[in-house]
Amino acid sequence: MRLRKGLVPVQNLMTRENLLKWAPLLVLITLVLFFSFINPNFMSLRNFARLTIAASPALMVAVGVTFIIIMGSIDLSMEGAVSALAVIFCYFLVWLGGSIAGFGVLAIPAILLLGALAGAINGYIHVRLRIPSFMSSLAMGFVGTGAAVLMTGGNIVKIDDEIFRSLLTYRMLGFPLMAYVTFGFLLLGWVIQSHTRLGRNFYAVGGGEDLAHASGVNVKRVRVLGFALAGFFFAVAGLLQVAKLGQAESVTGSNLMFISITSVVVGGVALWGGVGGVWNALVGVLIVAVINNGMIVIGIPDFIQDGILGLLVIVAVVLSTDRRSVAFVK
Amino acid sequence: MSTFIKNYIEQEKISRRNLLLAAAAGLTATTMPRAFGPGMAQADAGGWALAWSYRDRASAYWNSIVSGGEAYTESLGLKKEDMTSLINEGSSEKSLADIKAFLAKNGGKAAIACDANDSPNARPVAEAVKEAGGYVSTIWNKTDDLHPWDIGDNYVAHVSWSGEKPSAEAAKILFDAMGGEGGVVHLGGIPANIPAIERLNGLLAAQKDYPKIEILDTQPADWDTTKAAELMSSYLTKYGDKIKGVHCANDNMAYGVLQALKAEGITLPVVAFDGNPEAVEMVMKGELLATVFTNPHWGGGIALGLAHQAALGNFKPSEEPNEHREFYGPSILVTKADAEAFKAKYLDSTPKYDWTDKWGLSAGQIVYK
Repeated sequence: MRLRKGLVPVQNLMTRENLLKWAPLLVLITLVLFFSFINPNFMSLRNFARLTIAASPALMVAVGVTFIIIMGSIDLSMEGAVSALAVIFCYFLVWLGGSIAGFGVLAIPAILLLGALAGAINGYIHVRLRIPSFMSSLAMGFVGTGAAVLMTGGNIVKIDDEIFRSLLTYRMLGFPLMAYVTFGFLLLGWVIQSHTRLGRNFYAVGGGEDLAHASGVNVKRVRVLGFALAGFFFAVAGLLQVAKLGQAESVTGSNLMFISITSVVVGGVALWGGVGGVWNALVGVLIVAVINNGMIVIGIPDFIQDGILGLLVIVAVVLSTDRRSVAFVK
Repeated sequence: MSTFIKNYIEQEKISRRNLLLAAAAGLTATTMPRAFGPGMAQADAGGWALAWSYRDRASAYWNSIVSGGEAYTESLGLKKEDMTSLINEGSSEKSLADIKAFLAKNGGKAAIACDANDSPNARPVAEAVKEAGGYVSTIWNKTDDLHPWDIGDNYVAHVSWSGEKPSAEAAKILFDAMGGEGGVVHLGGIPANIPAIERLNGLLAAQKDYPKIEILDTQPADWDTTKAAELMSSYLTKYGDKIKGVHCANDNMAYGVLQALKAEGITLPVVAFDGNPEAVEMVMKGELLATVFTNPHWGGGIALGLAHQAALGNFKPSEEPNEHREFYGPSILVTKADAEAFKAKYLDSTPKYDWTDKWGLSAGQIVYK
């Protein structure tokens, strides 16, 4: 077939690879159209703003865990990490005067560093003691929840600083400030993933660890750095949870494990590693948030909502992951 | 050497080592409490060991329950550490296993208060205690067909809190604040939980007297702050300006609702349930219209107290009327008018209760429908 230069034949665009690449986004668009068709209120700027508030902390957790899943490992410490980091942030902010207009602003970099440090310890335990990441990170998560219970004694720590809370209350073009902050960190995640050696190493390790090792990649170091990066993003999620709810307690991170892991997989990141990236995490989180919000908006009875969420997750995974390339599924 | 034989030898070595380690650990465990723990003091509880079995320490509610049990223990002249906490972490199996272990450790001489975690678990707990010769009181969870008087003296009493009447009272305050008309949304607890069902029923009952009030929607947010914030956002999309008031089945969900409203710059009247310190502060500031306090401190103290007093033989449960074996704890409605006085009395200081006045705060015998 002869074509003029610069034109790509349609058949080439409709390849199986391209379809798989864009399937999660198509699922998202279909869901939005479906819910809007039943209740036009769904497709409104105000509802989209609500969706971003609901999705922001979950997205940061999902971006963090995406790096780990790309490496073919898993990090399940998010609930404990987010709870503990949110609680520590609140105590630290109160101790520094209670407002980020003053010294309190130091609490933000401090908690991001602490998150990265906690993640590095998590990764070090996994690599050094040779415990499967599934188990070591889950255990570290319990340590985090335990620490949060110990620090709070079951009480709630409230943050009333209006400047910090402007992440929720201040709007630009209809969206709260936290939506822009989240997008900024998402871009940071994308830069790390696509434009740094560390990002490429994540894919190398996930695609074939032995091969990466033989090619001179320090796999252990990459793993520890990956977990540190995940911890950093969990800290961002903790900050956003506090901004969103104005409080922290030992259950602040609850439910984030299910939402983030589901989102990452629904978005097309393969659990066996090497496939996907932060944009998949974004689409996945939005799919789950749209389903949750949409089911209430179109009035599905509450007792079948969980069941429908489960079914839609399976459908989304079927549509959006390339299962032909794997020999078997564990 | 075949791998089978190698593995076998390895396994034998490990199990011998484990046996030694386990023996050492066991010896330490039995001697440690004698050296450092309360040990001797338990004699002052009349030879009965005291325990509270409950969900976790991650909420103000359960901490308050435990503080009541500890206050009762201290009223005996003991230290609060002399009451053992058996934390079930939301698992019925662990709840039962912990209680059995505690009974075995003390040769059955144990007075236990417990929330069995879910209703069906109350029967095996009561039967295990009876078999060992201990005494138990339960709160919240038990099936309707299980009654202390059917098990005998060892199952001393069951305490619960009626959600329906106080929830209806809170709803009426909400309806009045709305001027008696407009749409209301409800955020409920975990659907199968008895308090969640009762608190929703209270709202529906109150609505009968207010024909212009419309209940727009009732959905569960599982007692959770984050879920409540998201549910409230979805309600706003679905019903928009039709929502004139919000009825929440507990305080934690009300915190989430208020934040979802804050994000949009909307103020609506909100009522809640539990009377947690933060919620009472919000009532004082006018952010929350009302909350309902169930006095968990008293509930925690009296449940343990009844079991222990029966164990000591200070009263014989089977000689008491049924209203002393299954009764409702007190509920107090907290509104802006009385929030300050309430806070001073119940939150800033803890009232000292006379635990020998066993049924002084009872709100009557439990009614089944």
